[in-house]
This record gives sequence, C-alpha cells and structure tokens, in this order.
Amino acid sequence: MMQGNIWVSPSSRGLVQSMTLVVKFELNLSGGVDFIEPGPPSNSQLRGLRVILADDDGVNRLVTRKLLEKLGCHVSAVSSGFECLSALGTAGSSFQIILLDIHMPEMDGFEVAMRVRKFQSRSCPLIVALTASADEDVWQKCLQVGMNGLIRKPVLLEGMAAELQRVLQANIGM
Amino acid sequence: MDVNQLQKRFIDYTTTLVQEGFLDDQFNQLQQLQDESNPDFVFEVVSVFFQDTDRLLNELGKTLELQNVDFKKVDAHVHQLKGSSSSIGAQKVRNVCIAFRNCCEEQNIEGSLRCLQQVKHEYSLVKNKLEYLFSLEQQILAAGGSIPTWNE
Repeated sequence: MMQGNIWVSPSSRGLVQSMTLVVKFELNLSGGVDFIEPGPPSNSQLRGLRVILADDDGVNRLVTRKLLEKLGCHVSAVSSGFECLSALGTAGSSFQIILLDIHMPEMDGFEVAMRVRKFQSRSCPLIVALTASADEDVWQKCLQVGMNGLIRKPVLLEGMAAELQRVLQANIGM
Repeated sequence: MDVNQLQKRFIDYTTTLVQEGFLDDQFNQLQQLQDESNPDFVFEVVSVFFQDTDRLLNELGKTLELQNVDFKKVDAHVHQLKGSSSSIGAQKVRNVCIAFRNCCEEQNIEGSLRCLQQVKHEYSLVKNKLEYLFSLEQQILAAGGSIPTWNE
C-alpha cells in the first residue's frame, strides 16, 4: 500500500534479531529535504558538531571538509573505510556524525555502516552517505545498512546544512 | 596595470569561464569558501586536482593500451575523475567523463580512447585557464589588493 519494504535480520541462531520497516515517502534527495519549517535554517545546531569524513578522493575530501568547517563543525578526514573504523574505535573519540563516501575502493560506505551498526545503536553516531548517484536503490540500501541520511554530490553548502540538520532533528532524544 | 584594473580583469575572466561552460557553480562555491583563515584554499584544492588528474590520465593511458583492457579499472579511474572535476566545477571535464563511463559500460575500446583524448584536451584547456586566473590573483596580491569575491 505504501510501497514499502519489511525485512527481518536473523541472528546467527536464526532467531529474529531486528526488524526493519521501510516506507516510501516523498524525499527530495537533490540537496536536502524541503519540508522543514520555512525561514532561513539556523546553523547553530551544527556548530561544534564532531564529524568524521571518509572519502578516498583528495579533492573531495578538501572541499567537503571546508564546507563542514564553514558550518562550524569539527572535522576529522580520513581516506578509507579502514581508517574510519579505526578512528571510531579509538578510545576517547566521540563523533556525532559519520559522513561516508559510498564508492570507496576496498571497503565501501555500506560496509563501513554495517560494521558500525553491528555494535552501536541506529542513532549514535549518525551516518550520512555521500554519493553522486541518483538511484532510488542506493537510498534503499543506505537505509537497509542503517544510515540516517544522504547527501548528493557535488556537495553544496545549503544542501549539506539542510540534510545534517534534518538528520539531527529526526534523531533528537534517541 | 593598477589593482582595480587587475581585479576587474579577474572578475571578467571568471565570468567568461562560467559563461563558456568551463567552470560551473561549484567553482563559485570554492571561491566563497576561501577566507582569511584559508586564503589559498582555491589554489590548494585546484593544485590537488591537477596532481590527481595528471596521475589518473597517466593510468588511463596505460590501462587502455593493454592487450586485455580491464574496463572495471578504467571505469574506476574515470569515476574518480568525474567526482573530483565535479567538486571543483570543471564542467567540461566532468561531462566528458560521463560519456567516457558509457564507453566503459559498453566495453568500447575505440570510444574509450577517443574519450581519453577528449578529456585530456578539456583538462589541458581548463588547466591553462585556471593557471592564468591564479597568476591574476598573484598580481592582485602583489599590488596590495584583495581577491574579489564572486558577489562583488
């Protein structure tokens, strides 16, 4: 009816470990979601936000990092999925958002997200995908592996701010 | 040439590059991201882009010359070039990459070689133009002026 999907992830013993329901809403993925309240978005929510950015491309890393810093975020940038997991595992590091390029060699964004979600809840840290793809399937897969948002590349400041705010709002109090 | 003339030339040149489709709005964004805390930001990013692209084009040339072309590898390189050129706003380079990826999908060697030539050509054009833009920047700074921002 709502063109959704429901699936069950079994544990190793075949018992139900988690259930996921995906329902199709109208989502504007071109630069962020527009159904936030009107008026200029306040970026104060984003100030001081601790973000880890994983992108294998040097140019993209530089640009995305600068965009995040412009929004007031504290950014750690790494160039692979491995480095990302390693940074997350370091004692004392506490990132609030993981920004993941989906298409990385060796370990892609989906794999990183799956590994992160294996040990931690669905909302901490929040995971946002970075992709140039406009495929509906990509978004579905992002949700499936436990991601919370998606930003289309090439990244624009407004689109990034909007999606980060949306993701934070959607997960307040969790 | 005095500072004002240099600044005007800088603005006019950037405008022309956008009008002619060499650069798009992403480049505008890069210029807006440049500030006192990072006065060389655009130069830094574009320099990395030049280095990475030189390497990628070299790799592409080698990969396409082999007996059995590994199109997955070619596609991966082109995908990366598409991404980085897109991030800095090098529109024409990005557009050739899109066509290039189609050739990879079709496993079309001749088409791929043509695309490689085309991408090299577009890259060389935009590289020259950006280098000229940076030389204008240097002249402006040397004359004691500041780099105009896009909205001026």
